[in-house]
Amino acid sequence: MIEFGIEFVPRDLYWKTTFYAIQAEKIGFDYLWITDHFNNRNVYVSLAIISAYTERIKFGPGVTNPYLSHPVVTAQAVATLNEIAPGRVVCGLGVGDKTTLQIVNVEPKKPLGTIRESVRIIREFVSGKTVEMEGKIFKVSGAKLNFKVANQVPIFIGAQGPKMLALAAEIGDGVLINASHPQDVENAVKFIREGAERASKKTSDLEISAYTSFSIASTYEKALKAVLPVVAYIVAGSPSIILEKHRISMEQAYRIRESIVHGKWKEAFSLVDEHMVETFSICGNPEKCVEKINKLVKVGVNQVVAGSPIGPNMRKSINMIATQVFPHFKESTEKIKK
Amino acid sequence: MAMEKIARKIPTSLWNEASEKLIDIILNSPNASNMPSDLAKTILYYWQRDQLATEIGLQRLLEAAMILEHEKTINLMEELGVHEIAVMLKETMK
Repeated sequence: MIEFGIEFVPRDLYWKTTFYAIQAEKIGFDYLWITDHFNNRNVYVSLAIISAYTERIKFGPGVTNPYLSHPVVTAQAVATLNEIAPGRVVCGLGVGDKTTLQIVNVEPKKPLGTIRESVRIIREFVSGKTVEMEGKIFKVSGAKLNFKVANQVPIFIGAQGPKMLALAAEIGDGVLINASHPQDVENAVKFIREGAERASKKTSDLEISAYTSFSIASTYEKALKAVLPVVAYIVAGSPSIILEKHRISMEQAYRIRESIVHGKWKEAFSLVDEHMVETFSICGNPEKCVEKINKLVKVGVNQVVAGSPIGPNMRKSINMIATQVFPHFKESTEKIKK
Repeated sequence: MAMEKIARKIPTSLWNEASEKLIDIILNSPNASNMPSDLAKTILYYWQRDQLATEIGLQRLLEAAMILEHEKTINLMEELGVHEIAVMLKETMK
């Protein structure tokens, strides 16, 4: 059965994010992901308070990166969270947002090797082993946690490119495909299968998630208004190969990027067209969202993450997912409450 | 104490509607950063337990809504037809 995740950006006050997290749990979301950007509220502090006000939902950073947080620090954080909420913690790991890393002069070098070594360190550290690593990226000499972790914390790897998708399947417990378009997700699943085969794993043992940009409202127009800024950023940050594949004008993407860089937000958002929205998000009224989720399910994902912005009004949009989306995918809606 | 008395005056038939609308006022307030952290945590506690549409839950929501948006909160009570409560809320501001 398909599972659903929701992503919150801790840009909001902690109590608002926690309020929505409680709501997400009540209506039946399975996973809750909190983004990790140094300019927002801290991901682990946010997760710690959410863990205290929830009982069932699984949660974790979605995603953290090993360039700003050393894997032993990430492992320590998820291990501590697991003590508060045993068995509910997952760890989303990726290379991070290039633009944000650039601000602090960090270049995401050798992403594949960095992720591979990070996963090994996190896994061994959380499992209580003494970590010894003479890696190409990380050198660790005898790091060991001073407390026991009751269970292993599943590691989900955020990926977009073919090699990272394959690696994610090879070494991860789950893959967070950074895409919303069924065609992109279908292609991603092919690379995931290759990676899984390389590790003699069954793809059915992997959590394959489409980590989408999601906006739901009573009308397409309302949902569109909320998603435009997110899509503008996605277009601005997308590599040319992705833009070309979707026949998005490079010139248009360049203009969006320039407008963002110069703080001309209105101009940037006005340059986003419907084709870009269709390519990089799930956006629309409930019927349209259900239709697109169905397409994702058909190409092989078993989790759909509703990522930022969720909708023009967070509370109403979450309730709309509960009443008009979940019934198409979840067997029981008993848990649904406003 | 004043808010406790006021919350008690809300007819049971209005609990759900009042709770829903107060939550909207609180979550959508541009003054949300003025919310005292202790009060926020109390509201989260009742929200987790599905008790925001109860007397005690409404009391906390009223407290928060009056801090963030007192005019909207008083107007909401008028809209809900509980003029007496609107008057009592105004009194708390003196």
